[in-house]
Amino acid sequence: MNTENAIEVSNLTKRYGDILAVDHINFEVKKGEVFGFLGPNGAGKTTTIRMLTGISIPTEGTATIMGYDIQSESVEAKEQMGIVPDVSNVYNELSAWDNLIFTGKLYDMSKTYREKRAEELLRMFGLLERCKEKVQGFSRGMKRRICIAMALMNRSHILFLDEPTSGLDVQSVLVIRDLIRKLNQQGLTVFLTTHNIEEASQMCDHVAIINHGRIAVIDTPERLKRTMENLQSVEVAFETVSPNMLKELKEFRDVSNVVKEGDKFRLITNDPTSVLTSTWNYAQKNNLKLITVNTLGPSLEDVFVKLTGIRPATEGERTEGKNYKRRLGG
Amino acid sequence: MSNVRPSHYGREMRVAWAIAAKDMRTYYTKPPSLMFGILFPFSLFLSFSIGRNMPLTTQIPILISQTLFFASSSIGPVVIPMERANQTFDRFLTSPVSLLSILAGKTLAGIIYGAGVSVIPVLVGIAFFGSQIVNIGAMIACFALSSLAFSALGIMFASIPGQTLGQVMMPLNFVRIPLLFISGVFAPIGELPTWMQAVSMLSPLTHTVELARYASGAETFFGPVLNITILSAYAAVFLFMGIRFHLMNQRKE
Repeated sequence: MNTENAIEVSNLTKRYGDILAVDHINFEVKKGEVFGFLGPNGAGKTTTIRMLTGISIPTEGTATIMGYDIQSESVEAKEQMGIVPDVSNVYNELSAWDNLIFTGKLYDMSKTYREKRAEELLRMFGLLERCKEKVQGFSRGMKRRICIAMALMNRSHILFLDEPTSGLDVQSVLVIRDLIRKLNQQGLTVFLTTHNIEEASQMCDHVAIINHGRIAVIDTPERLKRTMENLQSVEVAFETVSPNMLKELKEFRDVSNVVKEGDKFRLITNDPTSVLTSTWNYAQKNNLKLITVNTLGPSLEDVFVKLTGIRPATEGERTEGKNYKRRLGG
Repeated sequence: MSNVRPSHYGREMRVAWAIAAKDMRTYYTKPPSLMFGILFPFSLFLSFSIGRNMPLTTQIPILISQTLFFASSSIGPVVIPMERANQTFDRFLTSPVSLLSILAGKTLAGIIYGAGVSVIPVLVGIAFFGSQIVNIGAMIACFALSSLAFSALGIMFASIPGQTLGQVMMPLNFVRIPLLFISGVFAPIGELPTWMQAVSMLSPLTHTVELARYASGAETFFGPVLNITILSAYAAVFLFMGIRFHLMNQRKE
């Protein structure tokens, strides 16, 4: 065991009858880093997090949390972690204060300490004034904040976050992202599963992309982008758009694909210089005014799409996917 | 469980109590708890007793047994599917506490609910109908062992994977209701055919009814020693099976 690692996963496998939900995965998460776990719906993200947190027992393989085996030393391993599941599993019948106090009791914290910690967290999350109100009247964003506060009650070393910002309004998303960054700067290791590739790109030191239960790749977001040099692109916008424009742009030399993104076109290429020349010539020839020209490196989203063969899900598909995943038990 | 170290016992007990206290506060007054734990046994008792020529002092031990049976065994099947649906049950599974302590907390909530509800007919019987407790030890044993065994029965059934009350309550009632007919509730065991007396001995409810009768000074068929032995054995079996089934669920989860 490497003492620098917060999480070590070896051959972790989960089988539901004939379905292999997680297939002998291996990875390590270093202490103090934000580790992103990306993948399409049903890829095995939540199943993995459920095995790492002790909710589900693996069919095969091992996982250690701060050096403690989640199966044979589960109490010690669970003392090291806080968990924020994909659904805010707060007790709606209890107040925010009582939710935190009950969590403190589950961790056998002393009365004085748990009350002090609860107050500290409620203040940090801007919920102190409403702490005596029942949680059932709270907004989704507020429930999410309570859920994160509950996960932090025991001053854990590792925070597992399963889709922490999914379905939240922009303000709540920004608050939560900012909070995760601050906690990470204080030394907390964060294991983050997300559909939001941009979020992963901004926040994670390393990302793993899982697909069909297998790890497709693990690397830093920037290195992953660099490995996909053929996914560079030129973003152009013209003052006027003709119906045949998409077809004509696809005929440019060195362009492998063109994607229309709102009023812009994104020309995927491995030679942006050649495409810039072609674009300029096209504009001149057709008497078009160019209003935007940007060259872009590959995004993490491009890497994700390339590796999984699946375009990232829309919000509606995410909800549908979660329901499907529940039906599968995955 | 194997991961409970001797130095952790105090902690495990405190956490189990915290879980029980939270369940009491959160779920005791929920409509399903009131319906299956209180309304159900009292309604059954009234439908059975009204119009029957039986002294009320004889009927009180039956009411005590029915409330112990239904109230204690209802809390687990009400609480656990609701917690599964809200994913709050996962909170326990991710806490640094053994599954044994989690289920002990849940069982304790059922014990307190069952015993608490069943004290009402005892007090009413003594205060208004001249009931007597001639053997307090037998009554305490009846309450303690029956509420433990029936609460553990409820926890065992609550291991049935499901997020709705019906998925657990229906199979539980499929077992609970037939037990009423073979446990000396509607007909004294001594009046049953021999083969039914043998079947009756296998029902845990029989021994609750008998102990309650014995504590009230009435004649019993099997005797208190056998009653206590069988109830203790059922409590142990239900607890053990409950833990096994919940562990199996975690493997399937």
